[in-house]
Amino acid sequence: MIRLILAQASGAAPADWVLFFGHFHPLIVHLPIGFLLIAGLLELDRLTRRNSVSSHTITLILFWSAVSATMACIAGYMLSLGGGYEADTLNTHKWEGIGVAVFAWIAWAVKSENLDRIIPFAQVVYLPALGISLLLLLAAGHLGGNLTHGSDYLTQYMPPPLRTLAGVPPKAPVFKAEPITDVNQAMVYQQIVNPILQTRCVQCHNARKSKGGLRMDTPDMLQKGWEDGPVFVAGKATASELIKVCLLPEDDDHHMPPKGKTQLQEEQIALLTWWIDQGAPFNKKVSELKVNDAIRPVLASLTGGGPVEAGTAVAATSRTDGPAPMSPMLTMKVPAANPTVIEELRKAGLLVLPLSKEQNQLEVSAVNARNFNDTQAALLPKVSNQLVWLKLGDTDISDAALAQVAKLKNLQKLHLEQTNVTDAGLKQLKGLTNLEYLNLYGTAVTDAGLADLAALKNLKTVYLWQTRVTEQGLAALKKNRPDLDVIGGINEQEVAAFSKASLPETKEGEPKKN
Amino acid sequence: MDIQDQIHDQLSRRNFLGQASAGLGTIALASLLNPVNLFAGTSASDNPTVGKPHFPPKVKRVIYLFQSGAPSQLELFDYKPKLEAMWGQDLPASVRNGQRLTGMSAGQSRFPLAASKYKFSQYGPGQMWISELLPHTARIAGDLTFIRSLHTEAINHDPAITFFQTGSQQAGRPSFGSWVSYGLGSDNQNLPAFVVLLSKGRDGDQPLYAKLWSNGFLPSVHQGVVFRSGPDPVYYLNNPPGVDKSSRRRMLDYLGKLHHEQFKRVLDPEINSRMAQYEMAYRMQASVPETLDISKEPDYIFDMYGPESRKPGTFAANCLLARKLVEKDVKFVQLYHQGWDQHGNLPNDIKTQAKSVDQASAALVMDLKQRGLLDDTLVIWGGEFGRGAYSQGKLTRDNYGRDHHPRAFSVWMAGAGVKKGMVYGETDDFGYNVVNEPVHVHDFQATILHLLGVDHEKLTFKSQGRRYRLTDVHGKVVKPILV
Repeated sequence: MIRLILAQASGAAPADWVLFFGHFHPLIVHLPIGFLLIAGLLELDRLTRRNSVSSHTITLILFWSAVSATMACIAGYMLSLGGGYEADTLNTHKWEGIGVAVFAWIAWAVKSENLDRIIPFAQVVYLPALGISLLLLLAAGHLGGNLTHGSDYLTQYMPPPLRTLAGVPPKAPVFKAEPITDVNQAMVYQQIVNPILQTRCVQCHNARKSKGGLRMDTPDMLQKGWEDGPVFVAGKATASELIKVCLLPEDDDHHMPPKGKTQLQEEQIALLTWWIDQGAPFNKKVSELKVNDAIRPVLASLTGGGPVEAGTAVAATSRTDGPAPMSPMLTMKVPAANPTVIEELRKAGLLVLPLSKEQNQLEVSAVNARNFNDTQAALLPKVSNQLVWLKLGDTDISDAALAQVAKLKNLQKLHLEQTNVTDAGLKQLKGLTNLEYLNLYGTAVTDAGLADLAALKNLKTVYLWQTRVTEQGLAALKKNRPDLDVIGGINEQEVAAFSKASLPETKEGEPKKN
Repeated sequence: MDIQDQIHDQLSRRNFLGQASAGLGTIALASLLNPVNLFAGTSASDNPTVGKPHFPPKVKRVIYLFQSGAPSQLELFDYKPKLEAMWGQDLPASVRNGQRLTGMSAGQSRFPLAASKYKFSQYGPGQMWISELLPHTARIAGDLTFIRSLHTEAINHDPAITFFQTGSQQAGRPSFGSWVSYGLGSDNQNLPAFVVLLSKGRDGDQPLYAKLWSNGFLPSVHQGVVFRSGPDPVYYLNNPPGVDKSSRRRMLDYLGKLHHEQFKRVLDPEINSRMAQYEMAYRMQASVPETLDISKEPDYIFDMYGPESRKPGTFAANCLLARKLVEKDVKFVQLYHQGWDQHGNLPNDIKTQAKSVDQASAALVMDLKQRGLLDDTLVIWGGEFGRGAYSQGKLTRDNYGRDHHPRAFSVWMAGAGVKKGMVYGETDDFGYNVVNEPVHVHDFQATILHLLGVDHEKLTFKSQGRRYRLTDVHGKVVKPILV
């Protein structure tokens, strides 16, 4: 059997059964730890006290300590054939482990009464042998832990004062990618690819622990690949091992990252795929690569918005673009609202609806509270952090309530339709810079009020049907804010024309007949 | 042993195990993970089924104008000049490609290609083709999003509608609206989250069954509630003669106590469901007449929806009701309009049929838009499948028919979350097969749920030992059409 194992060591890959038994090492290794420590503790007890366990018992424990230590050595050797461990640490660990076994055998031999009779000085050797075995046990155990969990595992969370005492270097900073401000100028490998690898792959593929012979911590080592060759084919993501293993089903043995570890997100795989498809360059900016429609939204999301206009990029066509990223007002983290405040709002007849399961943002609706009034509006600023959608349409509020609404700095949609608000109220909303939707239909708002709306920089749509706004007022607003979608409505004359249409008319510039 | 006791023993044991393992644990976990969940949970009294979107929704409400009977995409939306060029010739076998036909036309000796009798023009910034049968719809082309490449699995009406509405051709699964009600709850505790409007069919139309708006295995509070136009919109909602509001209240209070006693004995959750429905009905006695009151609508709004909007039970009247309902934040309004099954005499019938829906459909979109509702409401217009390129029965220049066709058909959407003026998907020269960007019914369902803030793979309900979804084990969100 030994020969078999040695043969394995010189050959390429160890047989499955070798690794199978090897994987028992972490289990078996705890037996000699327990046995030897018990032997040591009992011996200590015997030295200090009179009546204690018999030496025969200790001999028995020592025998099993030696046997289990030997088995742990064999299993450990088999495990090491699988590779992926840092060589120096492994070597020391191995000899320490063997040392434990050897000295355990010696301790047993001299302790057992038979040998005692043959060798006269046996008693003298006994305690040192047991002691050495125990010390080696501690040392080997520590290194074994380092091999499995990494050498910084034990000290990772050591408090600073202890660190100085123990001479451990200060806590290494968590890998932090350079933040991307303008995605077009971002370095593809350094700022996009490497951060993904650092957070998801490098834990097992680094200088100390290189599973499969692969290191992913530096560009050189990544290019070198693993024991079976390169991990990526530049320009061909579909043929690249790196991508393939991520796309395998999670249950597959070859899937990466292994089951149980934090998985790559779809977008992260898309970014890696795109990078490899673009030739896996290590020194290029996003703007120097081709940005196709599939990757554009993913890239855009890295900065949280902003157009991606790469130099040689394929022209953006609206039809294949995915959905645009959501407004930061809806996705940012806000603290949860105070339940007692929520209860107060409910008592006022308002519906308080969470925007989604994951977030604390709220929608507040007065759909069933038509008597909601200016006094009650004072409740609203209590949830100003959370409140993003507010529906106060068709209620009793007037301009006074807007003084409270003006405090809702995160508001994204505001319904004021069919209320008594006027231009004077609108003036107060100037500070709602995150507002995107404003419904004013059926109010007494006039052209004067519109002038104030132009100041709302993020406003996208405003509804002005059945208001006192004139054509001139609309024209002025559109001139001031060409990006703003101003929605009017239909009046009696227009309805007449609309309902008359029986066959499509060919208006100039509009439809063209086939 | 009394049967009642047996039920009691069985249920209380099951209940105990369920509560001990899931109940307390879940509450503790929920409070740890997200304190917001807790207050949402405690308000169960005013909103028994608060569900929450998985992510912030683009669409808060859906109005589904279901066109039962399968409108012909070839006469309405999918312009195919090749059919004109090859008029009367046989459908090439390479196009049909062994396609299964219904028994109504499978026996035909020839399959002569029939071109649309109606002309098409292009409209709006997206230059989309719309037929002259839909002049009002053409006016709102700038607000429409077309899918020309829908395809389904069923070839007959009932399984196809059931498939569209429940995700399965066999009856028994919850309807689309029920899933939405279950997953998202209601935004107005005084009205049901899922309302169904039926417009009157003519004799001989394909029938509609209540199973289409059934809650299936979901708790029955999620069942679609049928509203009708006129003075009595919900059957049996009004108090009978001699019963006033306060005696109704007293009756419900005593009934509630009895139900509570019963629930303590048999622990059947349907008892609570029933109680919630009684209470909902009580609130609806006030909210429904108020919501559906069209007496204050100005004349020009009626004119906008068309003359039929004044006649209760018509498609136009129901479109107006649909608007009234979404104004009050009803989550899912499912409207069914019958009469599109034109196997023969298609040119004449489709003209009448198109006229009955065109103006009101367009008016609904325009009306929602001017009220600021189209920003978070989605209007869907479409049937259960399409119609074939060849004539069923005799083909003449003036008359022909079309048989069922599941391989390719069109729907339009208007409103929140979808790209205005976009045409997605493409069919071949015969409008027969999808050649680009196919959208399966499950993909369509997944996309609508996505717009509502729901991950279709996570909205599940366990029944008979397995977890069910609206999209079964399929469905992929059609991302290119999303804004």
